[in-house]
Amino acid sequence: MKNKSGLTRFLGEYSYIFVFVIILIVYMITNNGITWPAAMNILRHSAAVGIIAVGMGMICLTGDIDLSVGSMLAIVSGFSVVIFNITNSVLLTLLFSLAFGAVLGLLNGMLVGRLEIPAFIATLATMLIFRSLAQYFCQHIGKELIGGGSSVYKMVNANSQYKPFYNFGNGKLFTVPNVGLILIVVTVLFVYISTSTKFGKKVYAVGSNPKAALMTGISVPHIKVVVFTITGLLVGLGSFVWIGMNASSDPATTGNSYEMYAISAVVLGGISMSGGKGRILGVLFGAMSYTVIDKIIVALKMDSLINNAIKGVILLVVIAIQIVTPKIRAKLRKA
Amino acid sequence: MSLLEMRGINKSFSGVQVLKDVSLTVEKGEVHALLGENGAGKSTLMNILTGVYTRDSGTVVFDGQELKDTTVRDSEKAGIAFVHQELNLFNDLTVYENIFLGKEYTNKLGKTDKRRMIKEAEELFTQLGVNVDPRARVSDLTTSQKQLLEISKALFFEAKLLILDEPTTALNNAEIEHLFGIIRGLKEKGTAFIFISHKMPEIFALSDSYTVFRNGEYIGSGKLSETDTDSIISMMVGRTYSSSEIYTPRETGDVVLKLDHFTGPGFHDINMEVRKGAVIGMTGLQGSGASELLQCMFGLTPSWSGTMTVNGEPVKHGAIRGAMRAGMGLLPSNRKETSVVPDMTIGENLSLAEQTLSSGKFHINKKQEEQRYLEYKELLNIKAVSSKNPITSLSGGNQQKVFIARWLNTGAQILLFDNPTQGIDVGAKTEIYRLMEQLAGEGKTILFTSMEVPEIRKVADLCHVFYNGSIIGTLENDQIDETTVMRYSTNSINAQQTSDRGGES
Repeated sequence: MKNKSGLTRFLGEYSYIFVFVIILIVYMITNNGITWPAAMNILRHSAAVGIIAVGMGMICLTGDIDLSVGSMLAIVSGFSVVIFNITNSVLLTLLFSLAFGAVLGLLNGMLVGRLEIPAFIATLATMLIFRSLAQYFCQHIGKELIGGGSSVYKMVNANSQYKPFYNFGNGKLFTVPNVGLILIVVTVLFVYISTSTKFGKKVYAVGSNPKAALMTGISVPHIKVVVFTITGLLVGLGSFVWIGMNASSDPATTGNSYEMYAISAVVLGGISMSGGKGRILGVLFGAMSYTVIDKIIVALKMDSLINNAIKGVILLVVIAIQIVTPKIRAKLRKA
Repeated sequence: MSLLEMRGINKSFSGVQVLKDVSLTVEKGEVHALLGENGAGKSTLMNILTGVYTRDSGTVVFDGQELKDTTVRDSEKAGIAFVHQELNLFNDLTVYENIFLGKEYTNKLGKTDKRRMIKEAEELFTQLGVNVDPRARVSDLTTSQKQLLEISKALFFEAKLLILDEPTTALNNAEIEHLFGIIRGLKEKGTAFIFISHKMPEIFALSDSYTVFRNGEYIGSGKLSETDTDSIISMMVGRTYSSSEIYTPRETGDVVLKLDHFTGPGFHDINMEVRKGAVIGMTGLQGSGASELLQCMFGLTPSWSGTMTVNGEPVKHGAIRGAMRAGMGLLPSNRKETSVVPDMTIGENLSLAEQTLSSGKFHINKKQEEQRYLEYKELLNIKAVSSKNPITSLSGGNQQKVFIARWLNTGAQILLFDNPTQGIDVGAKTEIYRLMEQLAGEGKTILFTSMEVPEIRKVADLCHVFYNGSIIGTLENDQIDETTVMRYSTNSINAQQTSDRGGES
């Protein structure tokens, strides 16, 4: 009896590990096991969306949502390409990505935190704006700035820093992909921030009961502005990673549905959308779970169009389990 | 024959017996007070009666019929209505839509007959003396009107027995009197009531008979006219209890807090000098300005004019953190909504305000926080197993102590308690007041509001009575009594004086 309830509690709290392991087992069956390079490849492909999802996790902890992250990835990565083409400097490109992302995040944060526009509406609007601007400018600025094409931002490969940048995006450090390392560092940093700092506690308090948070002197609008800005900053980092890996950014497709993948990763990671509950560590597993699903579909040689259907079903199943386990636990306690 | 007879009721949850062989008998046309501390089993029994829980054993006979395997609908049909403390109304619907929800009158095509529903609702309201427009939106009603609406709803469908779970918590005295008038009128017509309340004076004012539970057991019952408050409370807490613990005057120090023509939303021109170590009570009808003053002092609302100084230093207006830095802490009313951070542990809830104040240092020293928790647990006698348990696992009284500790932990010297004993049981109330005395003895200055005059008398050096946003009277401890306070808070003293002067003005 005691073991049983302990097990269901474990499943409830660490369901993200459980989900990830099951998906990984399916992967291992379809691929006859898993190799180290394959595992590292999963980490690599989780990098951009994972970094963004960590930010989304912080926003969801405050009880809000950010629908603009996918479009933000498109515009920040696109403009960063332009900056790279002009400056031929990796460092300046990184600084621009971070700064531009942070400014866009700040914009979202002001709309939600200060003007008190519901996050869903505010970021729905900025989602439309960011994507549209990314596409518009791609058509209307000088061809040399976007690397010669007409509808894609391309890094100019004649630039002397092109090779080093691309090599960084696709390189490895002791067999671990650089971008994967960035994801891990970001996750570790935010696990620390969310669990062991005063700022982290305030984020949870705002999501759990904003009124009570206010009563302890926490400025709820300020926390929201900061969390959205942090997410913008992380999208900026994600943009940098993205162009490092791809050497280009297509404003029509880059980051498409990434807001949905990020939210799904957050939910799979066990963070409650109503705020105040869950762990940032779960987001890492949530993001990787989705990448593994991609790999399984490739291994089974299925049409990639079925991809989102499978992801959707898995999301529903996991949420159903998360909702049902506490009820089962309550029943077990009664019996 | 009695209207309701519950006999030998047993109920356990996961092996823990929460009701042991309890009985309850209610006669037709009486108000029966169901008494006991939180956790005594009152709610469980009421939930069994209304079909929310099923009983393990025992019999229930209502209106001559045995109720077996009752569902919520069965009990409603039999004529039992439960008016919950958290009102079950739909705020975005109108009054009449709420009354008729799911039972609408319709014509043959299924279209609702609004006119008939509004008319019948109006008739019922006139009959009861309830002043509510059936077409009004529920969200626009006052709490007391909502309470009356809930009762009217039950009566409309001919409830014979109404369970009122702490119906007066959010009402002011005038509204309580109105509600009680209506209940008395219905009683005359034969409707019976089970009345659950923690407020002794109103239990005695309204009820005819009583039943006391303690720890899931039946302790006794009888007529209220044949007993008194102290013996009832002694039955409830299981030891001899005396409400007449005598107030002892205390030594106070220099003036620490000064309000000078302090004016803000809901109150105006407040002048006050409070000495270190004093306990100041504030009372008045709801909305008379006492709670509003505390909220403004804490910076929750902006002040409009006048000044507040702490230790001679003016405090910045309208900034919670400014008030916190000046050494103030507010224990807000309505604990559940404004104090509890439900997803956090006891320890996290305790440390939150201190973390805000010291947010310059980024990292949390978890060891130090645990140490502080243990200190306050000891000091305030908080009954908790571990700082890592959820705050929601504690009883109301113990939660309240955690929130007092939240402010002590910031080093606050001036404590503002807004209705600190709201919704906690008799035993815990006494403890909170003892704690206030203890803190005052350690040099903390306390300002608190309460609607319960006997409680103010127990601890306060002074009592300011508020009327219409200003202090209308200030009573020394030995002058505090219910009649005087009531005269002031309804402004009948001034009215009397004006008429005595006979048109001088």
